Amino acid sequence: MLGLDDFVTEVMAIPGALDALIVDHNSGMPVASGGLGPGLEHSAAALSETLRAAMEGLATSAGGTVRIADMIVVSDRGYHLFRPLETRFDGPLVVYVHLDLERSNLALARHRLESIAARLDA
Amino acid sequence: MAPLDDTLTGLAAEGASGALRVGRMGTLFLTGGRVTYGECVTAVRLEDLLVAAGRGSRAALRRAIQGEGPGLVEQGVVSRGELQYCALLVTMDAAFFLLPAATGRPKFVPGERHWLSPQWYFEVTGLLRECRRRRAALEQAWPSAEFDGRPVVPAARLPGHHVVLSALQWEILTRADGQATPLELARRLGRPAFTVLLAVRRMAAEGLLDRPPDGEGRAALPRRPRTGGPPPPPPTGHTDLAVLLRLRKALEELA
Repeated sequence: MLGLDDFVTEVMAIPGALDALIVDHNSGMPVASGGLGPGLEHSAAALSETLRAAMEGLATSAGGTVRIADMIVVSDRGYHLFRPLETRFDGPLVVYVHLDLERSNLALARHRLESIAARLDA
Repeated sequence: MAPLDDTLTGLAAEGASGALRVGRMGTLFLTGGRVTYGECVTAVRLEDLLVAAGRGSRAALRRAIQGEGPGLVEQGVVSRGELQYCALLVTMDAAFFLLPAATGRPKFVPGERHWLSPQWYFEVTGLLRECRRRRAALEQAWPSAEFDGRPVVPAARLPGHHVVLSALQWEILTRADGQATPLELARRLGRPAFTVLLAVRRMAAEGLLDRPPDGEGRAALPRRPRTGGPPPPPPTGHTDLAVLLRLRKALEELA
C-alpha cells in the first residue's frame, strides 16, 4: 500500500524519468512532485488544463463520454505521459511523468505506471 | 494581506504546534510550523467525503474520532494514500474559506491536536500561494460571486446546440434541486466546496445556469415598494464571498 509521497518516488524510479508530478485534477493543485523546480503551481495547473482540453476535444469529436486511460505527448524534449487515477473521493488525481527520449522505453514506462497506480488504493 | 496570513506566517517561523481557532468559522491545526489539518463551517468535511464515497459509516468514523480501537486505515475504511488525499482536500478547502473570512482576533491554542494524526503537511507559504491561485482561478472562470451563494438552477434551454460537461458538472446538475447552493451541493456530493464553486462558475460563464433575478432583467418585473435604505452594493468577487460566509455563520447561530 503506497502513500501519495511514496508514489512520486516510485514514479521517479521509472527508467528515463526526468520529472514527475501528481495533480488534483479538479482544482489543478500540485499534490506531490519529483524533479520539478519552482513554478510547480503553474506547471500543475497547466498540465491539468492540457488534459481537460484533450477530454473536451475528444468528447466533442467522438461524442458521448470520454475516459482517458493514458495520454502520451511526444515532444522534442521527451515523452510526456499523463495518467488519470480514479479515486473514490473527489479527483481524479493525475500522474504526469516527463521521460527522456533517449533513455526511456515508453511501453515499459506505461506498464510500470499502471502497476504503481494499482498499489495506491490496494 | 489578510491578518490571518500574517499570523500563520509567524506561527510557521516559530515552528509552532497547536490549533489556530478562527472564531466559530473553523480551525487550522499546525504541527512543527506546518499546517496538518483544517476545518471550516463552509468547507467540505472528512465525513462528507467518506459518506459520499460509501466508505465507512458515521459509527466507524465516531470510533476513530473518540480514539477507541483501530484508526480509519486499520479498520479498512480507507487506504493510507486515500486518507492522505482526503486530509489534503479537506485542509486545503478549509484554509481557502478561513483565510479571507477571518474577522476578529484568531486565537492560537498551543499543543492542541486534531483527533486525526497528521496525514499531510502543508508549508504555510505554499498554502497561502495555493489559496491565491484558487481565488484567481475563480475570478478567471467568472469574475463575479453572484452564483456562489444562490441555489444552482440549470437554464431550461441551452444557449446553443451542444455542450461538453465534466463529470463534476454533471453531478452538480443532476443533484441541483433548485434549492441547494453550491456549498450545500459540495457537502452532499462529498466534493470540496472550492471545486464545486469553480465548476459552477464555469457553467455560469457558458450560460448553463439561470441568472440571478436581480440582474438587468429585473426592471421588467413588478417592484415591491421600497422601504428605504441604500441600494445593495454591486457584487464583487472577494467581498461578496466574505459577506456570504458571515451570513451563513449568522444563520447557523440562529438555527
